[in-house]
Amino acid sequence: MILLIILIIPFITGLSLLLIRNSAILKLVALISAVANLLVTLSLIFSASVSSYSVDWISFLGTKFTLGYDGISLIMLFLTNLLFPFIVLAGFKRDQNQTPILYALILFTQSALIGVFLAQNAFLFYVFWELALIPVYFILLLWGGEGRRNITLKFFIYTLTGSLFLLFGIIYLYQLTPGSHTTDFSAFYQLNIPSTTQVWLFWILFIAFAIKMPVFPFHTWQPSTYTMAPTQGMMILAGVMTKMGIYGALRFLFPIVPKGVLYWQNTVIIMCLIGVIYASVIAFRQTNLKKLIAFSSMAHISLMAAAMFVMNYYALQGLLFQVISHGVTIIALFYIVNLIGERTGTLDLSQMGGIKLRAPNLAILLLLVILGSIALPLTAGFICEFLMITGLFQQSVWFAVFGGLTMILGAVYMLYAYQRVMLGDLRAGFERIPDIRSLDYIFLIPLIIIILGLGIFPQPLFNMADESVYAMQNFLKPVADSILAIIR
Amino acid sequence: MSALIITTVLGIILLYLGLTKNKAILAPAAITGLLITLFLSLKTWGHGSKYFHDMIIIDNFSVAFNVSMIIITILIFLFGINYYKRMELHVAEQYSLMIFALAGAFLMTSFSNLIMLFLGIEILSIPLYILAGGKKTSYRSNEASFKYFMLGSFATAFFLFGIALVYGASATFYLPEIKTYIAQFNGNLPPMLMVGLLFILIGVAFKVSVAPFHFWSPDVYEGAPTLVTAFMATVVKTAGFAAFYRLLSMGLLPLPAPLKKALWVMTGLTLLIGNLGALRQTNFKRLLAYSAIAHSGFIMLAVLSQHDLSASVLLYYTFVYSLATVPLFIIFILVKRASSGLETLHIFQGLYKKKPWIAVFTTILLMSLAGIPLTAGFIAKYQVFVLSISQGYLAISIFAILMALIGIYYYFFVVREVFTETAESNPIIVSKLNAALIIVCGVAVVALGIFVWNVPI
Repeated sequence: MILLIILIIPFITGLSLLLIRNSAILKLVALISAVANLLVTLSLIFSASVSSYSVDWISFLGTKFTLGYDGISLIMLFLTNLLFPFIVLAGFKRDQNQTPILYALILFTQSALIGVFLAQNAFLFYVFWELALIPVYFILLLWGGEGRRNITLKFFIYTLTGSLFLLFGIIYLYQLTPGSHTTDFSAFYQLNIPSTTQVWLFWILFIAFAIKMPVFPFHTWQPSTYTMAPTQGMMILAGVMTKMGIYGALRFLFPIVPKGVLYWQNTVIIMCLIGVIYASVIAFRQTNLKKLIAFSSMAHISLMAAAMFVMNYYALQGLLFQVISHGVTIIALFYIVNLIGERTGTLDLSQMGGIKLRAPNLAILLLLVILGSIALPLTAGFICEFLMITGLFQQSVWFAVFGGLTMILGAVYMLYAYQRVMLGDLRAGFERIPDIRSLDYIFLIPLIIIILGLGIFPQPLFNMADESVYAMQNFLKPVADSILAIIR
Repeated sequence: MSALIITTVLGIILLYLGLTKNKAILAPAAITGLLITLFLSLKTWGHGSKYFHDMIIIDNFSVAFNVSMIIITILIFLFGINYYKRMELHVAEQYSLMIFALAGAFLMTSFSNLIMLFLGIEILSIPLYILAGGKKTSYRSNEASFKYFMLGSFATAFFLFGIALVYGASATFYLPEIKTYIAQFNGNLPPMLMVGLLFILIGVAFKVSVAPFHFWSPDVYEGAPTLVTAFMATVVKTAGFAAFYRLLSMGLLPLPAPLKKALWVMTGLTLLIGNLGALRQTNFKRLLAYSAIAHSGFIMLAVLSQHDLSASVLLYYTFVYSLATVPLFIIFILVKRASSGLETLHIFQGLYKKKPWIAVFTTILLMSLAGIPLTAGFIAKYQVFVLSISQGYLAISIFAILMALIGIYYYFFVVREVFTETAESNPIIVSKLNAALIIVCGVAVVALGIFVWNVPI
């Protein structure tokens, strides 16, 4: 029941926001709802009992409305509900048109994302997966920047392409289930699919997630979408929606098509590592701060995807840790980018410089967030990148070498950007730039505390996912062992 | 049977009511009559009956489809109240012709004999030829009517020729007897029978505008008065597919291999031409015409999959498709009026600014046609894919999924226009009745997507 409550709170609040005219009150209501949801989620995390919820939905199609969770869902759920208060907060004291609809859409997205992470039925998963896309599409279409008409459509169609293949995969699995068919995950996990089928089914299922993450070469929708997206839309996209891809891959690929995963493992890891290098190099060449951050995000996500396909304990733990860490870091970064943009009226690196002289506090906070992003020890970023690269190392030294490049290249372009923006002589026209306001402290300080706190004391997060990581790893193990036995 | 009789009488009554020159009573009278028919049809649910030496067999299949078509016709008439207010002449004829067409549609869902099917198709078609030319002074309406008449007659000739050939071979018009006759050849049909069956299928394929017999439909849809177009795109299509399904399941299944191959090729072509055609359209009516062709492709996929659920999926699909299409035509009429008769997609610009609620429901209806979750259109497509994939037609399913993607693209083209702002400031006038109907349809589309039913037919 508690799961249903978590799912429904944002949706109901979103609906009621449509009735409120005063935009300050409305934002406050949205914030209260998001915080309340976070508190309920925390109570779920700390409660000993496991709860679930299930009712019949479309019985003749074997779909049930089943909500449940394991450690991996819990991490994702935590991330979603942790970030949404901040995403709502990011709009405070800012002029936005049509606020009721904007905040309703944001909360609808939250509901749908929660649904994705809690669904225990593939059909339900798919429905929420698509539903999460619709409000984001409208957020981008109505509040986006230049060129939004074409870019949003491209984004929408691109992501739907993957989804429709996923739908095909789900139906294919559905008709493989014995007896009166069902789309429950638990039934899918029992399927013993022949390995030749798994080899092609892997791609049918994977494309949706690869596009969502995005993994090279399925990333081409991303740069333009991020560039024109409004701040809050971008936070949703980069902070949470990319994680949908990772979650979906964990939920679908490893348990259902383990042989397919093993068959394509190295191909996919190499694709991801190409993505790491590619995104890093492009980030380094960027002159637009927002684009630079977007590509840095892609580099991190690519490393996460690579670590996921290594599928050993270290890599998976690192991955799930990075889910939280990356989400927190990226929205802090985008928030600061937005602050800089508001203050200077430009995001072009060549136009900036010396902002530190006018806004020292902003500079310090940005530095802290950047240090988290480039994985300095004692930040959360360090722990996860370290674990993921350890995992990659166990697969192959070369994977670790190329994966490790994210850390080095990340430091290069992030510090370079910092230098261009904050240090140097004060540019003309920047004399009147104000430092950050109290509201910005409220936004940034908690995020920085999370980044540092998790870096110093990471154990609770590991415990949260521990069991599920073992379980996930065990899906592959028997298959891998049997293949090894054949080789020997 | 009483439903069929009442419908026919209703059409005649309406013609006489037209003599009173009181337009206001026409629509209420027609709707009341249809409600009675609806009630009578529902009463026959579960009590199958046969008439005219078994030439008509009314079973649950025909009742279900009749009910679905009556509901859609009532919807069209309700929208017609506002639409025909501006029209001076021949309003009664319009209503009664649609009702006559509906009577033909009833025959098409309950035949068990090729002659009855022929009668049904003709009774359906002839009023449509007239209705398509409803705007007497419009050049395009005349063109539509003429084109439809010429091509329709041609298709009918093929159909009749096919019946003659089949009769020549099997010496019967009865579908069950034809079925046993075909069965004795074990798939190696004599040429005369094969050609006959092929011609029959071509005749029906023309009526449901399946490629390559679809060429008439964009032109006719564009030229005909919009309300008639809505009728053709929904009720006529439903009737056509019900007839198609009944023809196959009663007489021709299991299909001989060459025919099967031909039908699969037609399905693939329909999906391809419908979707690619719609992609290039700038005229909204033509876009919906091509979208209708595209949906024919998906429906064909369900019909050809030969599953226990096929009939029920067919019913669900045609119903929810109609439920989304009719109000879209009406919204189109409304925005067209606001933009002095233009028919391009651009006229939808600014709808969100001027009428936010109508815009939201337009989006929902378009999403249903596109097949986005939590709308009935999604569940309909999902069921079609469940049928085709579980019958092992993987390649064509993948192809259909790609085509569905193109569909999403062009429907969202319109959605994008709805949410684009424009400098144009002509007000869009939506009468209370129309607004209510649009909202009811939008809500129904979502409700049918959440509470999914499965009629045992």
